[in-house]
Amino acid sequence: MISSFTGRQVSTKRSIMTQTETVAKKTAAKKPAVVKAKASSTVTATPEPKKAVKPAAKKKSGQAFPFTAIVGQEEMKLSLILNIIDPRIGGVLVMGHRGTGKSTTVRALAEVLPFIERVEGDTYNRTVDQFIEGEEAKKGHKAIDPASLKIEKIPVPVVDLPLGATEDRVCGTIDIEQALTSGVKAFEPGLLAQANRGFLYIDEVNLLDDHLVDVLLDVAASGQNVVEREGISIRHPARFVLVGSGNPEEGELRPQLLDRFGLHARIITILDIAKRVDIVKRRREFDDDPDAFMKKYNREQQKLQKKIQTAKELLPTVTMDDAVLTDIAKLCMNLGIDGHRGELTITRTAFAHAAFRGETVVTMKHVKEIAGLCLRHRLRKDPLETLDVGEKIDRELAKILGEAEAV
Amino acid sequence: MIAFTDIVGMDLAKQALMLLAVDSELGGVVIPSAVGSGKSTLARAFADILPEGTPFVELPLNVTEDRLIGGVDLEATLATGVRVVQHGVLSKAHGGVLYVDSISLLDSSAVSHIMDAISRGEVLVEREGLSEVHPAKFMLVGTYDPTDGEVRMGLLDRIGIIVPFTAQNDYRARKKIVNVVLGKRNEEDTRDELKMLSGFIQAAREQLPHVSITKEQVQALVQTAISLGVEGNRVDIFTVRAAIAAAALAQRSDVDEEDMKLAIKLVLIPRATRMPEREADSNDAPPEEEPPPQDEQESEDEESNADTPDAEAEEEQKETPDMIEELMMDAIEMELPDNILNISLASKKKTTTGSRGEALNNKRGRFVRAQPGEMRTNKVALIPTLISAAPWQETRRRDSKMANRPKTALLITKDDVKIKRFRDKSGTLFIFMVDASGSMALNRMRQAKGAVASLLQNAYVHRDQVALISFRGKQAQVLLPPSQSVDRAKRELDVLPTGGGTPLASALYLGWETAKQARTKGISQIMFVLITDGRGNIGLQATFDPNAEKAPKEVLEKEIESLSLSIQADGVASIVIDTQMNYLSRGEAPKLAQKLGGRYFYLPNAKAEQIVEAALSF
Repeated sequence: MISSFTGRQVSTKRSIMTQTETVAKKTAAKKPAVVKAKASSTVTATPEPKKAVKPAAKKKSGQAFPFTAIVGQEEMKLSLILNIIDPRIGGVLVMGHRGTGKSTTVRALAEVLPFIERVEGDTYNRTVDQFIEGEEAKKGHKAIDPASLKIEKIPVPVVDLPLGATEDRVCGTIDIEQALTSGVKAFEPGLLAQANRGFLYIDEVNLLDDHLVDVLLDVAASGQNVVEREGISIRHPARFVLVGSGNPEEGELRPQLLDRFGLHARIITILDIAKRVDIVKRRREFDDDPDAFMKKYNREQQKLQKKIQTAKELLPTVTMDDAVLTDIAKLCMNLGIDGHRGELTITRTAFAHAAFRGETVVTMKHVKEIAGLCLRHRLRKDPLETLDVGEKIDRELAKILGEAEAV
Repeated sequence: MIAFTDIVGMDLAKQALMLLAVDSELGGVVIPSAVGSGKSTLARAFADILPEGTPFVELPLNVTEDRLIGGVDLEATLATGVRVVQHGVLSKAHGGVLYVDSISLLDSSAVSHIMDAISRGEVLVEREGLSEVHPAKFMLVGTYDPTDGEVRMGLLDRIGIIVPFTAQNDYRARKKIVNVVLGKRNEEDTRDELKMLSGFIQAAREQLPHVSITKEQVQALVQTAISLGVEGNRVDIFTVRAAIAAAALAQRSDVDEEDMKLAIKLVLIPRATRMPEREADSNDAPPEEEPPPQDEQESEDEESNADTPDAEAEEEQKETPDMIEELMMDAIEMELPDNILNISLASKKKTTTGSRGEALNNKRGRFVRAQPGEMRTNKVALIPTLISAAPWQETRRRDSKMANRPKTALLITKDDVKIKRFRDKSGTLFIFMVDASGSMALNRMRQAKGAVASLLQNAYVHRDQVALISFRGKQAQVLLPPSQSVDRAKRELDVLPTGGGTPLASALYLGWETAKQARTKGISQIMFVLITDGRGNIGLQATFDPNAEKAPKEVLEKEIESLSLSIQADGVASIVIDTQMNYLSRGEAPKLAQKLGGRYFYLPNAKAEQIVEAALSF
């Protein structure tokens, strides 16, 4: 048998990608208890511990390469980090050359994510308020005393949406097993529920089937997932940071979906020899002994995680001068960007960027560094335009910056 | 069954498979080769040199999504009343080989799933209420005939080795040798040889962790990848692995120049997008100047390398460029033709990747999956509908709303209904409109036919459809309605008579009608290829009434203009190939191209490849 294979076929119940080792122990210590809030009528909200998604209990299915060990591709890494700091930025689309570590980077993200609080065992990852609101809204349910709820901390979930996923698994459906064995109609939450307040990652997003894109657009717009099936009706919050990656040569992305992404990171083949040698070296080291390699980067991983957490806490205190806002609006106007999503994204991203650098006032310097990420995919396509999109943004930026300095 | 050792020839392919057998992390081997070269025989014989019991799964081209990924096992589920999961082909290949013959014909969704499984090493099953992870780490071996089209670059990118497509003429001769040799061989010889080879590979596998590669060697390989314009960084890892596996096969603990050359040949060259330029002065440099003593030093202790004085390190740095240059050029020149771009898949790829002309639909093509949908307007997928209804029978019988249904019937609701989704590969229809009027006889008819022939060849590769319309005399005529028979189109073209007037408007009209009909059959992408001098002189009226009077010039122009604009507005793409002699031209053809919103080519200047490229990149 080839050494690196595990040999026998095993099947494992899938759950969310999570932080390994230390985190796993932390949460596994507290066994999820049965959530008291049982739903009325025949519908159970499946809070049974057995079926519930247990992020902490995931088998280690092939260790992820550590985020901090990834060489280069700063644009993509920054985009992801800024989205952790402020999920309202609206996600990242990573497009670029094959074999440049797009999916490796996204999958490595799970290890540096901060924690969120939820009611113990809540499969929808709701906030405590959402939980109470949702459960109380159910027919014949009594008021819930927040003090009576057990709260647990889980790492921000990263959910992987494979291309072959069917709609029922994405949105959730009725639990067939329960129907078979006990004749009870119970709702089994799908990937959208798991991704609530977390990241939803789609590799080869440009190849995703149209009907799934429709579902995603619908949910992304409303922040709610609605399922009507077999006479039951479920509505649950589904707010997630959409992360997509792909190679533009393989196919185009639907414009509506493109517009949904807050940031657009481009990724190209690294041509620096030293960096490439380094990539090879690290990869080989990792393949030879993943545990030792993880250990080596453990400190950096923790440092980054802490830095992100600090930035998150700093974010509400960050301020921006009105003059900067005016400049942002001017930039978007001069570039002829439709709607206001451009300005909004730049502003939020600049705030997050300032926070990540530990600064509390947003300046044009911050804006300059992230404008390309925010606007690149929003420029109208002009077939006669020969200028590269990035250059065009830079040129307009320079104009505005020049004006600002001249005043 | 022909054993691995019995196959004569295909040395490079054999070497590639042996490297893969030594290091499965190379991901796989793709072998492009002509029909009858014995490539599939070789691929199947690959199992011989793998440890006993290694899974070897052959993927049928018409595999459905649920068979590929896995899904609910209907029989077992119905029999036991508990949901039983059936593993897909991808996970059945776990720990072994997934073999795909004619891999370039595999449809794009199947390719995407394979790509996904390779990059994860497992399959995520998120379908039909299932949520599972099945391990799926396998070596992919694919063979194909390049005349059938190419393999998607995204997939090749995840596979370490691509055997260069060279000297295919040799293979036929060599296949004969196989037969000759086979007649003489006895089984015992075969068994012994196989045993020896297996032992050899087993030893190499044990040697593998003990092989080291120097930093300079890695640098040289990376530099080569850059000079050849290979996309992505993942390829570096494959190149290094291949070189190390080659050293392990030779039972060495250091990578030497031959190993690197082999790695370059099998990993980098087939992905090259440009020919590296050999610097003029590199010939002046002494050719043999590698530092073998340093290699030894390094293998002793790689860590100590950090301690070497800077001066020495710098000297090494200086030596590397020459070494690289030599290495690369040697490997390239050794056995490849002058123009590497002819054998490089990557360079050909640019225009042909993607899912051009391939779309999911509800009407025709190959059945790929069942999904919820409207029963009246689609084809119902019966079995999936029954599967989804089965678990609910017990529940529904208790439901008061269904109480009046007959007791014996299966209770099916509209939620259960699954419709069939098909994937149709022949998405693009090329409508060739060839001007066969008298003026064309003057205007390079033969050249025009040549251009059409190469477009037709390309259409065949992509399983596009072609239609042929000729126009001469009073009206245009459909010589070949939309079909996939490129041969027929070629034949019709060969015997095309010329002479008479130029009913251009009639041709446009007929082409548009053909396009509209094709639309109703679900063909969404349509392209006109007009081969003409653009000088229409017969009005549309003549199409319907042969005795109609000759239309005045203004009417002719107006007809062509309004038809062209309508065709453009209808979303039909066009290219116009101008056949006019230079000194006679009044610019009619460029005007026509402009009105159609299409691309324009002047035939005497245009190369057939340019036209093909233009047609494919619309």
